[in-house]
Parts: sequence; structure tokens; C-alpha cells
Amino acid sequence: MGKIEWAMWANEQALASGLILLTGGIVGVAGQFRGWQFAAYAVAAGVFVCLLEYPRSKRSKGTSVERTGQYCFTVCVKAFGPLTRNYYVRAFLHAAICVPGGFMLSTVLGCVCLGIASLIYLVAAIRGEHWEPILPRKEVRKPVTESIKNPPQNPPPRPPAEMRRKRVDDLEGAAYDNPISVTDD
Amino acid sequence: MVVSVRSWVANEGGKHLILMLWLGVNTWLFIKTYLMYSTGQQYHYLYKMLGLGLCISRASASVLNLNCSLVLLPMCRSLLTFVRGTHTVSSRKTRRLLDKSKTFHVACGVAICIFSVVHVSAHLVNVVNFSVSYSDDFPALNLARYRGEDPKLIILTTIPGVTGVLLVLILFLMFTSSSHCVRVSNYEIFWYTHNLFIIFYIILMVHMVGGALKYQTNIETHPPGCLRANQSGTEQQGEELEQGEDEERRCREEARFQPHYPQTWLWVSGPLCLYCAERFYRYIRSCDPVTIVTVIRHPCNVIELRMLKKNFKARPGQYIVLNCPGVSSFENHPFTLTTCPTQNKETFGIHLRVVGDWTDRFTQLLLPEPRTDLEILPMVQQRRYPKLYVDGPFGSPSEEVFNYDVSVCVAGGIGVTPFACILHALLDGWTGFRLQRLYFVWVCRELQSFYWFAELLCAVHHKLWQENRPDYFNLKLYVSNTDSLQCMSEEKYRPLTSRLLVGRPRWKLLFEEIGKTNKHKRVGVFCCGPKGISRTLHRLCNSTRSSGTTFEFNKESFS
Repeated sequence: MGKIEWAMWANEQALASGLILLTGGIVGVAGQFRGWQFAAYAVAAGVFVCLLEYPRSKRSKGTSVERTGQYCFTVCVKAFGPLTRNYYVRAFLHAAICVPGGFMLSTVLGCVCLGIASLIYLVAAIRGEHWEPILPRKEVRKPVTESIKNPPQNPPPRPPAEMRRKRVDDLEGAAYDNPISVTDD
Repeated sequence: MVVSVRSWVANEGGKHLILMLWLGVNTWLFIKTYLMYSTGQQYHYLYKMLGLGLCISRASASVLNLNCSLVLLPMCRSLLTFVRGTHTVSSRKTRRLLDKSKTFHVACGVAICIFSVVHVSAHLVNVVNFSVSYSDDFPALNLARYRGEDPKLIILTTIPGVTGVLLVLILFLMFTSSSHCVRVSNYEIFWYTHNLFIIFYIILMVHMVGGALKYQTNIETHPPGCLRANQSGTEQQGEELEQGEDEERRCREEARFQPHYPQTWLWVSGPLCLYCAERFYRYIRSCDPVTIVTVIRHPCNVIELRMLKKNFKARPGQYIVLNCPGVSSFENHPFTLTTCPTQNKETFGIHLRVVGDWTDRFTQLLLPEPRTDLEILPMVQQRRYPKLYVDGPFGSPSEEVFNYDVSVCVAGGIGVTPFACILHALLDGWTGFRLQRLYFVWVCRELQSFYWFAELLCAVHHKLWQENRPDYFNLKLYVSNTDSLQCMSEEKYRPLTSRLLVGRPRWKLLFEEIGKTNKHKRVGVFCCGPKGISRTLHRLCNSTRSSGTTFEFNKESFS
């Protein structure tokens, strides 16, 4: 029920497989086993996959939790534009990267795990998902609108000075009606 | 906030003791198996062929056996609920440890992953050594068919190899889908991959079939190392011959080897059967659909659901798991009970907040015409209700509120639900419990949320005042959204409006006040709300208190 975001799971798997590939590669190179060149390749491939997969995508619905310090990775990955946005590209890229890992014993596990992650990315791509960078929300300052009305330039219309002089003896008669309306109806 | 030793021990001591115990058992098992394989006479020839990889792989295998059996036990929820309920069996300290069952499960799971990595690496080295150090002296000991056989071929053509690869793949799937963000965003992925555990266990039990590692059976008649004395003809003949004569007498026959019988099933079958029985029991118990009696819509997107089920008994604080096939056949969602069935009233109820797609769809099935006004409208339309299955009830930390002299219940928003059940129980009869004083702090974002339980709170307040216990129930309500101020204008809710404060609560001052009025007592703090609040409260409970009060922190959480 509901939309499952396959890409999030594929991302976790790909990151884990990158780490496994890296570890297997380091073991292969350190032990100088037969075919250690594949292990050296696996180290490079593992690092690349980890860097690519570290920044999490923004979820289409709901809150996205980003990994610690992922902002700089997000900027780098975003710079590649449609290559990293599209999950078909990622699926085939991971499938291609994982193949040479299968030739050496210590990197076989990383190869298989990355293959599974690539399959799940394919499912995500078929479902129409794509990678969205999580960028910090810019605080949009509300522009100072035209709510502050211009203060009046002219004084309100008043009768001439001799009428305005205070008539102490006849206060009732001193009241007057304004000839021009002072309210802005 | 300075951490006080006494508070820390009261709060964290039990957990850390169990952790140390578990780590100790794992370490002891690892070291014992390691020494057995590195110094044991029956593994002498095998050790010479394989080296360190043998010891590390077998030691990690025994740790894996232990953890694979322990990992299932915390997940037997009905069993844990039963243990929680029987007060004569366990003390409050043991019951507090049960709250951390999920954490223990995660710890065992992480240990399984780490030791699997160690085990796999060590076995990969073993496979290479089997191929490189192919033994011509003892052909029975070899796994490879000839010297220099490709290790990948060895892995793929033996049962332990193939099962090992499958186990690692399943473990990888289970591990990557159980991270926090996947659980929070797509619980179904986590649930379905985690249910692959049954395949994992079946394959685990046949992992050792085929006997890759063999031990020597006739140590007395053929002490390890004696063959070398027979064969070392060319080198150091002088010295060896003198020793060799001695051993030659003892070295009567060829070394005989026998593979180990699979031991994993001894470890794993008990907990696995227990867990399968538990799942079966839960399935049987939830087979009857419940009858929905009433559906009430409350403000702030909350629906109250009253149901009826035969032979359903629950204690305050427990939760149930709902399954509605009309919404989704396989999804199960937990909800805390807000009313338990009592002798007078057999219905039980939950309050659910509409926050995700399942609750949204469920609400649409229950209340076909959504109204936008905020009045409370009871609707009795029996025929249109969907079929609903209830699994449970399961125990939770909030059941312990009645077992302290003084309890503090802190609720954030909809987290008030376990405490609502507690209040209903108090309303029915507050004299029978050990609890002498209850502090109730409820923090909500909007004022309208308090209407969910306004009548209940007022009823409890009035009852206790009339029965001459005004200090029993201490209520504090907080509205954290300070922008738009509304007020509760109804006269009947006066006790609430006079205890309503705007703004977030100041926990330190609150705890100081509670500490001053309850000196040298053990106060139970129960928190059900957002992480921020529970973290702050946890830290406060662990810090020093000049009044000598000990605050024991209990947290309620679901995922």
C-alpha cells in the first residue's frame, strides 16, 4: 500500500556494497594475492561508489534526513546534472562497475552486493523516481510590501484661521462641520 | 547538568550490566574456541594446514551461534508481555530491562553482522590455504580436490560454500534495509526483508553439512607429530632418531579424521521454535475480526475508535496492532489503547492520529463523508465499517506507572494515549494501587488538542477532589504554539484552563519542584513524545538532585 521509495533502499545497499568492495580491495592488495590488480581496481571503484552514494536524495513526500556532512557531496553530485539525477544511468553504471570485481575472491562479495543494488535502482528508475538534492532551505524574507501607506503630505482641510480661533464664550457654536470629508471612504 | 552516580546507576545500571554480561559471554566463547582450535591436539594437522584462519573462523562461528539464538528471544512479544504481567516472577528492575528488548535485538544483530564479516574473511583465507597447502600426507583432511584448485570453485561446489554465500546475501539485504531512515520512510521494505530470517535460519542449520573441517579421532594411538619422526630421514638424523624411537612405539596407526556434526541446530532450534510458536499464537489470537462499535472524530485530525472483541483482556498502558485488509493486507500498525475493557464496559478504544497514507485511507473507510468543521460528531453506521483484525495486547513501559509511589507522566501531542488509559483506570478505582501521587504534564502544539481528553481529565480531577485527595493528581498543560492564542471557554473545563500555560515547559524547574516535594523518594518518569523532550528528560533524570530524589526514566516508543 502506498508508494515505496525504492531508491532510498537502493542507496543504502549501494553505500554498503561500496564499503564492502573497498574492504575486499584493500585486503586483496595488502595480501598481494593472485589477481591483485582487480583488487586495486576494486579500491578505486569502492571509493567512487561511496562518494556517489553518500548524499541522500530528497524524499518526494515526507521529511528527508540527510547524512552528516553530506552538503559538499550533494553539491558535487548535483554538478553532473542529468547523469546523476537519472536512476537508469546509476543502475547501469553500478552493473558495469561490479563486473570486474567478480574475478577475484576477496571482491566477489562486493560485486554481488553492488549487483543487487543496481537491480533495485533499476526498479526505482522504472517507477519513475529520480535523485533530488537536499539543499538548505533559503530563508525567504518577506519583502517589505506596500502596506506602509504614504503618510499624508498635506494637513487635513480646515476652515480659515479666524473661524478656528477658540471662542471661549460660545463653545457649542464653535463646533463646525468639515466642508470636505476627512475620512477616505 | 552534572551526572550523578546514584541517578545514573538507577537509570542505566541494569542495562549496562546486561551489556557487560553479554559482551563477557561473547568474549569468553570466542577465546575458548580460539584456544581449542589453536592448541587442541585433535586439530593439530588442520591447524598446520590452515593456520590462524582456522581458529578465527571457528571462534567467530561459535559467537555467531550464540547471537543467532539470542537475537530471536527479544522479539517474542507475547512472551515478554506475559513476563511483564506476572509480578510475582519478576521485580520492577527486571521489568524495566524488558523495555530495552529491541535495543538488545539490535545489538545481537550488529554482532551477527560484524562476526559474519570476520567469519567470512577468515574462511576465505582458509579456502585459499586449502588450495595452496594441499596436504599429500593426509588426503582425508583436504577440501580441495587437487593442489592449486581455484578457490572460487571450492566455494561454489561445496555445501558450506554455497550456503555461506546465500547466508551472506540474505544478511546483507536484511542489514541494509533495517537502517533508521528506511524504517521510517518505507517500513514495508524493512518488514518483508526481515522476514527472510526464516530462510536464513533454515540455510544456517544446513551450513555445516558436508563437513569441511575435520578433527582427528585417534589421538592416543597416533599422537600428532609422530609421523614427522618417521619420515624425517634426511635432516638431523642423529638427534631425531633418539627421540623417534620413543615415539615410533607410540605412533601405531595412520591418523583418522572425522568431520564435525552440525552443531548450529543445538543452539538455534530452541529460540526458533519459541519464536515460531509465538507467531502462530499471535496469528490464532488475531483471527477473529473485531466489531467496530463507534467512530468519533476529534479536532486536530484524531479519530477515536471503539471496538469489541470476545475474550479480549488488556492492562492500562498496553498497545495493540491493527490490520485492515480493506486498506492493505499485509500492513500492521501499532496503536496504544486509550480505554481498556473493564467489568462494566467491554469495549476498548484507541485514538489514532491521521498522519500517513494508511491512517488516511483507514479514516476514509470509517467515515465516508469527511467534514471540515471541528465538532465532535458520533456516527453510528454499522454496516459500512471495514473488517478489522487486532493483534495484542502487548506490554509497554507505561504499565509501570502504578508501581511507583510517585509518577510523572510527560506526554507530547498524541503521545498522551498510554496515559489516557491510566487515567481511566484511576477513574474506576484509584485506591487499589501503590501510586500515591501522579504528575501529569501534557504539551501540545494547539489548544484544540486538549479536547481529546478534556472530559477525562476533569472527571479525574473532580473525583479526587471530592474523595479528599487533592494532591494525588497534579495536572500541567502547555501549549507550545504561542502565535495564535485561543481559550477554552467552557465552564466545565475550568480545572484545565486554570492549569494551562503558554509556551514550552521548563523541565529543570519542574523537576526541582517535584524533587522538593518528594524528598528521598523514587519517582518514575514516563515519557511518550518527540525525541527532543525524551532526550532532555533522560539527561535530567541522570543529573544530580539536591533533594535526594531518584528519577527513573522510562520511555515509550514504537519504531
